[in-house]
Amino acid sequence: MKTIEFAWVYALLVALFFPGMAFAQTDPGVRSTTGVNAGQPLASVTANANDLAFFQAGLEQFNEHQTVKGDNPGLGPRFNLDSCGACHSQPAPGGTSPASLIFPNVGSNPQSQVIASGLVSGSTNTIPFFVVANGPVREARFPFFFNANGTANINAPNGGVEDLFTVTGRADAGACTLQQPSFTAARAANNIIFRIPTPTFGTGLMANIDDSTLLANHTTQATNRLGIGGTFNHNGNDGTISRYGWKAQNKSLMIFAGEAYNVEMGISNELFTQDRPLPGEDQLGSGLPANCLNLAGTGYPEDITHSDGTDAHTVTSDTALFSVFMQFLDQPTPSATVPGGAASISRGRALFSAVGCAVCHTPSLTTQPSHLTAGLGDATANLFSDIEIHHMGATLADNVSQGGAGGDQFRTAPLWGLGQRIFFLHDGRATDLLAAIEAHEGNGGEANIVEAIFDQLLTPGQQQDMLNFLRSL
Amino acid sequence: MIPPGETRKLLTRFFRSWRLRGLNMHRRISRCLVLLGFSISLLARAQGPPQSGGDFSNNPQPNALPSGVILLKGAWSSASDSVTPLPEGGRVAGSVYSNQYLGLTYALSRDWTEKYSGPPPSANGYYVLAQIRPAEKFKGTSRGIILIAAQDLFFTLTPAGNALELTNYSKDALSPDYKVEQPPALVRIGSHSFVRFDYVSPVAELHWHVLATQIRCHMVQFVFTSRDTKLMESLIQEMGKMTLPAEAGPISGRGGGEVPVCIKDYAQGENVLERIDPVIAERHFNPVPVRIIIDKEGKVKHVHFLSAFPDQAKAITDALFQWRFRPYLRDGRRVEVETGVMFGRAPRRPTSSSAEAVNE
Repeated sequence: MKTIEFAWVYALLVALFFPGMAFAQTDPGVRSTTGVNAGQPLASVTANANDLAFFQAGLEQFNEHQTVKGDNPGLGPRFNLDSCGACHSQPAPGGTSPASLIFPNVGSNPQSQVIASGLVSGSTNTIPFFVVANGPVREARFPFFFNANGTANINAPNGGVEDLFTVTGRADAGACTLQQPSFTAARAANNIIFRIPTPTFGTGLMANIDDSTLLANHTTQATNRLGIGGTFNHNGNDGTISRYGWKAQNKSLMIFAGEAYNVEMGISNELFTQDRPLPGEDQLGSGLPANCLNLAGTGYPEDITHSDGTDAHTVTSDTALFSVFMQFLDQPTPSATVPGGAASISRGRALFSAVGCAVCHTPSLTTQPSHLTAGLGDATANLFSDIEIHHMGATLADNVSQGGAGGDQFRTAPLWGLGQRIFFLHDGRATDLLAAIEAHEGNGGEANIVEAIFDQLLTPGQQQDMLNFLRSL
Repeated sequence: MIPPGETRKLLTRFFRSWRLRGLNMHRRISRCLVLLGFSISLLARAQGPPQSGGDFSNNPQPNALPSGVILLKGAWSSASDSVTPLPEGGRVAGSVYSNQYLGLTYALSRDWTEKYSGPPPSANGYYVLAQIRPAEKFKGTSRGIILIAAQDLFFTLTPAGNALELTNYSKDALSPDYKVEQPPALVRIGSHSFVRFDYVSPVAELHWHVLATQIRCHMVQFVFTSRDTKLMESLIQEMGKMTLPAEAGPISGRGGGEVPVCIKDYAQGENVLERIDPVIAERHFNPVPVRIIIDKEGKVKHVHFLSAFPDQAKAITDALFQWRFRPYLRDGRRVEVETGVMFGRAPRRPTSSSAEAVNE
């Protein structure tokens, strides 16, 4: 009898709450039942032994850990981490910020482990407040230089990367003594912003989209009735459209690789040939102290093309190998059925276009013929980006200017591989797709109308279809 | 940076308070010293490198920068004076959207509001004037969104010379995601004429009703989005209460009153008697669309940058104020002219239309 009563109560509760449960839209989370769907070379690369060898050599270098001296020299004197692959690892090498608790369980934020692993000295470095084990890998920037009294000087824009760690205290760092930037004071002055690593899957395809294709797409979208403008960031030297980085500030993968090697790891190379001081160390006229220069003992640049190499990949510089690796990385493979089933994903894709997301997140663009490998030529790049920079408004503004991009302008983030990403937006502030979408609205932003249509006018079921579609990518 | 105007205001306020309060000599001398120190610091600010502690600070409790403010702008809109009305200068106040430049006032429905302001004008002359939606306290069952936007017809990327052509172009370029419900057609709402275009997204079950007219060589567009077509019709009927220039219209609409005549490409050929090219030191590779008002004497009276970096705006303003034009005559009388000039890298346009944006 008691069992029957229980059943009735249970049924009543289900009846009361089921509708809410059925229609409360939720982010399905990182797609974990379809395997890792990114990180493979293009099929045309796999089919060519020489290209594949280059790709593998690039992958090896990408994952290699650098030291100040020794076999892989050049690290520091300031750096954010010691390997490309440590930051770009979710869900596979080339990707973005990892986590240990979320598929495919790559590991804890490696920046949180640098003292424990002995990469930096705990007596001379601390883990900054914004680096936590289950949070994203981050780089930090101070939008403005400090005044002598510790306030931010809004007449002196900074915006350069403030490396988190120094080699000071390491056995191989000699007498080099450097202080970490004032992260805690920067927080008190509200003068600090963050960036997370951009995934590099499919970036060879992005490199091979001609400017004319991008301009034609811009013109096609210009009659939108959704409040969206958009423009391009341009390379300061030749004036062509630049496309890499959160503000599309970098022209090519080679420059992207060379700059990251220099800025994130402190390794000088053939594109960025000096050890890098902090922005303020140069601004105040000091540069790096003499005893922090040439720590590798190799002279400059630390990464070079090896004329004494014996084959293509022992001759090639690390920077060029990184570039080859990224060029040859295929675009992620979306799922047709997960999450939510094929019908939901299909509806979500149609809704994504209908409500206007696709005006900026252009589903696909066609590449031009490629001299590198057949897979990059005349291909459909399903990038979900127009590679334009858009005003995202005050909610997302970071007050950092890069090239032609102002403080609130960001490149439309490519969405391919979104289904297996953990952290969203330029600073990794969101782990929930709904929160990421919500952050698209704010004073001065171009996405307000589209966000409002999603938020106010779609039914919960339609919203769920869109979330399923996004997590299928 | 303290702009020159702000510095002037601060000093004026300072002297006024001194005069009014009748300070004694001691306090006057003290204030003089403060003023001297302030002036020296301003001088140092203007002449020396920025004072900075670089990347380091030991102050644990500094004054914090405000959050959610765009302090560092890229290419942005600006103007040579702060008095002349601008298209982006409209505001929602007291449940009414008013735009002095366009001569437009639009009363919002009860419990509708503007939650967020729009972005600056785009480099191809697209303005988000207002984004209106139900407020939190709205009790209605149907929801919708109203976008009031404008497209400067001097800088549009589309081959259209007036609001009707541009709307027809939009219909022809409509994505397959949508189905046309009513092709562009001329309609009257109250005493105003518009071109109306309706379409629907079958998958989203959302309708878009677009009403456009033309004022001062801008297509001004009201875009209604909702699932509920009855709500949309009632909102459209409420448009009859808004004020617009009597001369507004979708084909040859213009501004009312004494606003300048707008003529596309007036700053070309024989109309330009004297031209000084701006010297822009830094390359940005961006388009710089500029609207200018030419006075009855043929001199530039007002410069409005839809999108420009500050150094571009300064160099171009300095140059434009030296340009001289052939005065424009209407009915034998000299009148002011408003036209557009594109500096920087002009975006590519498809084949131009037969019609030109001219309000004459």
